[in-house]
Amino acid sequence: MKRITYLTCSLIVACMVAAMVGWSMAAGNFLIPVVAIPLGIIVILACRAQVDIVMADERENRIRSKAALRTLEVVVIGGAIAAIILYSFVVSIPLTPIITGKLFLNDDGTQSMTIAEYKPGSVPGPQTLVRSNTIKNLNAMNETEAMTYCTYVREGFSENENRGLAGTVIGCGLAALLATFGVFYLYYNRKY
Amino acid sequence: MRNRIRVLRAEHDMTQEQLAELVGVTRNTIISMEKNKYCPSLKLAYRIARLFGVGIDDVFTYEEEIDGPSGDDE
Repeated sequence: MKRITYLTCSLIVACMVAAMVGWSMAAGNFLIPVVAIPLGIIVILACRAQVDIVMADERENRIRSKAALRTLEVVVIGGAIAAIILYSFVVSIPLTPIITGKLFLNDDGTQSMTIAEYKPGSVPGPQTLVRSNTIKNLNAMNETEAMTYCTYVREGFSENENRGLAGTVIGCGLAALLATFGVFYLYYNRKY
Repeated sequence: MRNRIRVLRAEHDMTQEQLAELVGVTRNTIISMEKNKYCPSLKLAYRIARLFGVGIDDVFTYEEEIDGPSGDDE
């Protein structure tokens, strides 16, 4: 068996196993993965044993190690930039879409507040207004008014918080990747 | 690193595929070595030299200015 045939077989077996595992998870049958995964591994190993040309070539190992290192560098640098940009949204522009609150003094001495939501990135004005709500007495707001206020605040922060979360996830992923690299580096450093 | 693999191979009437199989690498590695694009590991260099029944110096000549990737890290 040629190496390309072996790789093709491995890919087909892996796809079949993945499909079976996915289907069994959806169907609630947890016995299939227990059988399918070891069976798939056995088939791949059997195919590997039939390969009649060299599997581990030093030049190929060298090329792979260089390619892996370059990939790591690109992913770490690109990921770090993306993580910082995404996280900066939380720090620099906390509210997206734009939400404003205006306080008014009523005739009876109480304070009312109008909360308004404007289109993201626009100048607040009647044309860019998405919705608004007025809390008649700020010091005695009822439950519905309090919930409305909370919704506005939550929605105002949510988009950038999601970006910040994505940035944090990317940052943590990069840290995990670098930690894994470090562990393997130390392992091979001790081995050789 | 310069080498005489192509010459030695011709002398022994051997194809790249045959040499690759005998020393346990792929044909691409032999091609790269013959083009002086790849420096083999010491292990592979000795294997090739022994296969042709010559010393390692008779196959490989070290030259500073030629700088290809090395397989010595294996």
